[in-house]
Amino acid sequence: MDIRAKGFFEDMAAGAEIPAASYGPMDRYGYITAAIVLRDTNPLHLDRVYARERGLPDVVQQGPLNQAYLYRFVTDWLHHPWDLRRTAIRFVANVFPDDVLTCKGTVTRTYRENGEPRVDCQIWQENQKGQKTLTGEATFTLPERK
Amino acid sequence: MDRKQLIGREFPPVTSVIGEEDVRDFTRVIGDEYPTSKGCDAARQAMPPSFAPLIALRSILRAVDWEKDFALDYATGTAMFGEQKMDYTRPLYVGERLTIRGTVAGVVEKHGAKPFDVVTMLIDATDSAGGRAFSGSMGFILFK
Repeated sequence: MDIRAKGFFEDMAAGAEIPAASYGPMDRYGYITAAIVLRDTNPLHLDRVYARERGLPDVVQQGPLNQAYLYRFVTDWLHHPWDLRRTAIRFVANVFPDDVLTCKGTVTRTYRENGEPRVDCQIWQENQKGQKTLTGEATFTLPERK
Repeated sequence: MDRKQLIGREFPPVTSVIGEEDVRDFTRVIGDEYPTSKGCDAARQAMPPSFAPLIALRSILRAVDWEKDFALDYATGTAMFGEQKMDYTRPLYVGERLTIRGTVAGVVEKHGAKPFDVVTMLIDATDSAGGRAFSGSMGFILFK
């Protein structure tokens, strides 16, 4: 249950912040399920010996999982998850087991498109060291106060 | 192999039914709430939007053979993600049959510690009626 207070279109302006949300620590056993759902059993995500042989400290969390947390950050806050209209996300750094991911966002523009209220924002995800793991933009609609 | 010759190539479409088990398993991993249909269509169960890029990627991974189609040598690295863009026009529903088509739109060579290509693939997802479910693009980083 997301307890962040939801926003309305009139409250949004460039510079407004979307309430941050943290997730984790990340659980390596979830990567097995993610591999099955993705039907991608790349050992980089599952076998820590394999990962260490390639110079990594541990298995690497699947990118779609990292991204799913950033999506949750946005869509759990929306009045309806499918008020999401657009995303652009860049994969900046790896996520590893036990990382705690914090997602943040800042509004960059409010406008209407075909009459629908729209909000553009910068969004990003960072680990417990403050290192960005994902950066991007999201566009969504918010209801207006009547 | 000059991967620029792949620009314009359309990979075979991949059709799959997005089943309840997959959505439930994945939402459990990320701690998302399921069911998630919050009044958008009482008769159908909406899936979390976070599942959409995953469907796209899963389909592309089934359509593409990185070693054969893109001359990727796994000894030098795996395929990594670049930028991913998605446009949504409607909710996606659990149980939907979606067809994903991937077309190579661009190949840009870059030089870091090792040279690599950024391959941009356009994604087009259609439903069983032929209507667009969502669209976008996925970037993949492939070392030379």
